[in-house]
Order: sequence, then C-alpha cells, then structure tokens
Amino acid sequence: MELTTEQKAMLDGEKGKGARKAMEILVAYGNVYDTGRMVPVTSVHIAGNFPVMMDEGIDWLEDLARDETRVRTYTTKNPEMFDFDQADELRIPMVFQVRQKRIHEALKSLGVTLTYSCHHYLVGNVPRFGDHIAWASSGSQVFANSVIGARSNRDGDHAALAAAIVGAIPEWGLHLKENRKGEFIVDVSRLDLDSYGPADYKALGWLIGKNMGTRVPVFVHLPPDMHIEEIKGLLYTLTVTGATGLVHLVGITPEAETLEAAFQGSPAPSPEITPTQKDVDEAYLDISSSSDDNVDMVIFGCPQCSIQEIQEIADLLGDRKVHADTRLWICTSAWVKTLCRRMGLLDRIHSAGARVVADIGAADGPHLYLKEQGVRVIAINSARGSYYAHNIFGMDTWFGSTRECVDSAVSGKWEGRR
Amino acid sequence: MKINAKTVMRGVAEGEALVSQMAISFTGGMDPDTGIIREPGHDLEGQSVAGKILVFPAGKGSTTGSWQYYAAFKRGSAPKGIINRKAEGVVAISAIITGTPMVHELDQDPLAVIETGDFIRIDADNGVVEIEKR
Repeated sequence: MELTTEQKAMLDGEKGKGARKAMEILVAYGNVYDTGRMVPVTSVHIAGNFPVMMDEGIDWLEDLARDETRVRTYTTKNPEMFDFDQADELRIPMVFQVRQKRIHEALKSLGVTLTYSCHHYLVGNVPRFGDHIAWASSGSQVFANSVIGARSNRDGDHAALAAAIVGAIPEWGLHLKENRKGEFIVDVSRLDLDSYGPADYKALGWLIGKNMGTRVPVFVHLPPDMHIEEIKGLLYTLTVTGATGLVHLVGITPEAETLEAAFQGSPAPSPEITPTQKDVDEAYLDISSSSDDNVDMVIFGCPQCSIQEIQEIADLLGDRKVHADTRLWICTSAWVKTLCRRMGLLDRIHSAGARVVADIGAADGPHLYLKEQGVRVIAINSARGSYYAHNIFGMDTWFGSTRECVDSAVSGKWEGRR
Repeated sequence: MKINAKTVMRGVAEGEALVSQMAISFTGGMDPDTGIIREPGHDLEGQSVAGKILVFPAGKGSTTGSWQYYAAFKRGSAPKGIINRKAEGVVAISAIITGTPMVHELDQDPLAVIETGDFIRIDADNGVVEIEKR
C-alpha cells in the first residue's frame, strides 16, 4: 500500500507508540483487501462500552492512550452504561462505575469528543455527501451511507480508532464508487405503506435483512415523504438480521435518485423480493422473544430517542401513571435531555413515574445492572434493541409500536401483538 | 496436502482443525471466558474454539466483535489460528490486534477440503496451509 511520508514516519514509530500501533493495524487491514492507498477521513465514531470491551479491552484502550496519543480527526463516542450524574439514583454498582470512569478518562486523553450518543449525527457529527468516514456502529454507519451519502465501511472500533489517530483509512469496499452499486431489488408495492408507522418498517427491515446477507439492496416504491424515524427504523433493523453497509432507497438516497442511478446505469433486473403483508406480519411477531405477560420494564431509545419521539411518548402517556411494578425509561443523549428539561417534558415524564436517562442506549449498556436489579421481561419499540437485549444479555423481550409499549407501561402487562 | 492462501495476519500456527460451515459473530455468539460457541442453532454450538485452528466461511454481526475476541485471546480461550473463505472486517481486525496467524482466499475451498480433527499448519508468513488428514 502506498503511504505518505508522514504515514511512513508514523509506521516507523517517529510519532509515538500509539500512532505506530494505529498504522500497523491500518496497513495490515489494507493489505487484506489489496488496497492501493489510504484516504483522509473527515469524521470518526466509535462504539465500544464495558459490556463488550470487558477488562481486557479497557487495558488495550489505556495502553493506546499512553504516550500522549491523540486523535487527528473529529471523533465522537457511542453511549455508555450510565450517566455519571445519575450513578447513585440508578443504583449503579461500584464495579461498573470504576470501569466506566477508566474508559472515560482514556477517551478524554485521546481527544475523543464525549458525546455518549448513537444519534451523533443529530448532535454535532454530520459528514457531507461523499465524505470518507469511519463509523463503528452498524446502524448509524448504514444511515451515513444511505441517507447522507458519506462513505464508510463496516469498520469495528479498532479500525475506526486507528483511522482517527492516523487521520486516514485504507480505500477499499464502500469507499470506492464501483462498490456502491445496488445488487438486487426489493419491491414494496404490494404493501399498504400509507398505514405504516416506524414499527411496521422495522418488521419489514427484519424480514428483508434475513434474505440479503452482505449485498446492497435497492428498495423501490417507498413513499417519497417517508418520515426520518421510519427511514431509521428500516435501516437500523436491516443491519441486525443482515450485514450490509449501504441501502439504496430510490427517491431518498442521494446516490439513488432513480433506479438506474442506484445500479450506476447497468440494466435493472426484475425484483428479487416482493414482500406481502403476511410476510411482514410474521416478521413482526418473530422479533419478540418473550411469552410472559408481565412486563418488568419498558425501555425506549435504540437508537437514542429524538426530541420528537420523547414528545410523542409524553403525549401518549398523557395524565396516566406507570404501573407500580413496571419501570419506564427513555434513553437519549445529554443534549436532548437538556431540551426536555427546557420544554417541561422532564417534569411531565417524571410525574408519570417514568425516567429520562442520558448517555445510555436501550440495546446494551444498562442491561448488565438492570438484570442484577431483577429486570427480566422488557418491552421495546426497537427490533434492534430487542435482538441485542435478548441475545447478549438474555432478556425476554416484547416488540411493538411506541403506543403499545406506553400502554404496557401503564397496565404492567404486554398490550401489543403476540 | 499444501494449499496456497492469502495472508491476513502473519505468523505460524499449528494444531487441530475445528470446522464450521456457518458464519460466526464474536459478540453474542461466543463466550469469551471459554471460547464456547453459544449461538442457538449454530453448527459449533457448545464446542470451544480455544486452541484450535478455526475454519469458517466469514464473520457476521456486531462490529464490536473484535473487543470480545481480544478478551477471549487474553483469557486463553481464542483459536491458535484462523482460516476464512473470505475475511470480513471484524475477524480480520481481531486477528491483527491479537497477532493470531490468519489466511483467507485459499486456492481450494477450505470448507470442502478440511475436516474437524485434521492437523493443520498455517504458515501465514509464506501464505501456505498444510493439511494432514487425521
């Protein structure tokens, strides 16, 4: 792989041990894919928190941060396990507090911007169309490629951190235009999409993801006025059951203004998948993993809730109270929580017996201690959150719409489809 | 039998093959304490990858997998070497950060010619895989 003089100096250890380690990772990574050169990155986002990093991962991160290693590219961070300001209120065990603090200090020393958010593109990390980026968080990564038209591979944290330190990444895969062609058509014209909400699009994503693997799908006949929450619902779920980095939504994705554009001019083949409502209904039920009626906790925020979503939850709650044996958490970023306070939403939500928690996502971070606190059955409006809570942490999960989840929080029983 | 392969991570490893026909996710799919595959319905479910030459088509699932692999490596529960049909990013990075010898893109399909229990020598410095049938 062709390297600049500066990159060679980093590889030779002239810019410190951390920069050398980062270059060694990127050179090996580039060589695997016969990459000719590195391209500068304008934005990096990293994902790992304690549940996946474990003690060994924290040691690795601290080791990287030693020797005054700093990121050269603007880098933001995914959610953690809890908000330091709420550690006592949420009864966070000391063992987790100590570990999160170590991660926090190492990231701070590296110069990472401590957003603790998975909607970082709403709170300060917005790439431009065509930018080369390294986002390690499969949901937001597919959002960047498919909605913004920035270019990121499915990089893990180690590759993304290395790219942040070096300021560049090997140019392979989705960084190259020729690899961004659509590969097969999904025709949704048999579905009554006028009646669809975000939960229905998540069920659709669950279904299509299972049939797509790592290929680039091209969706046709989606409504051109599809709401951003519906787009997120579809995209974030497609990367749970499938492993693509880019999805063309014809009429929405910047590189897919037309079907021909999505295929970069080559003749469009006939649709490979034409789902029916029966297929989507089956997928909807398949997302839930619970059979127990009693709901211990309703948790929103995978990805973290936007201010519009929190407004909707507060309106659905109205004057009702959360059931005495059930908890309701709304996970979001510190910015959106500040907005909630300013707009009086925080008081409304608190008086209903629910909580707004910052710096947390509903998929992973909190489940380690929630389990210790006796939470077993959760209800969630995210297919992605349901999958990770069940498969990594062994939670029993119910999946449904925001309304069904709010109703379940009030009655303490699952009120959605089964 | 000797087969040429493309290097993902340099080094030499030898040991007993453990072969899966299915993709593997290190996050959620493997217990980092024991190296035991715990994904329900996986063809290696209940078997440990620790100390084996692990042969499988490719990685899948969460991009956080390289953290879980690194923890397994530090706990002595990772494979000695990896052979993939075509390396996906998460598995490639896992091998690179742990210095685990790894190859992919063999001249013959590794899932067809290697069986669990075969003795394997990966020479990733020279891009060669040696197979001794059991």
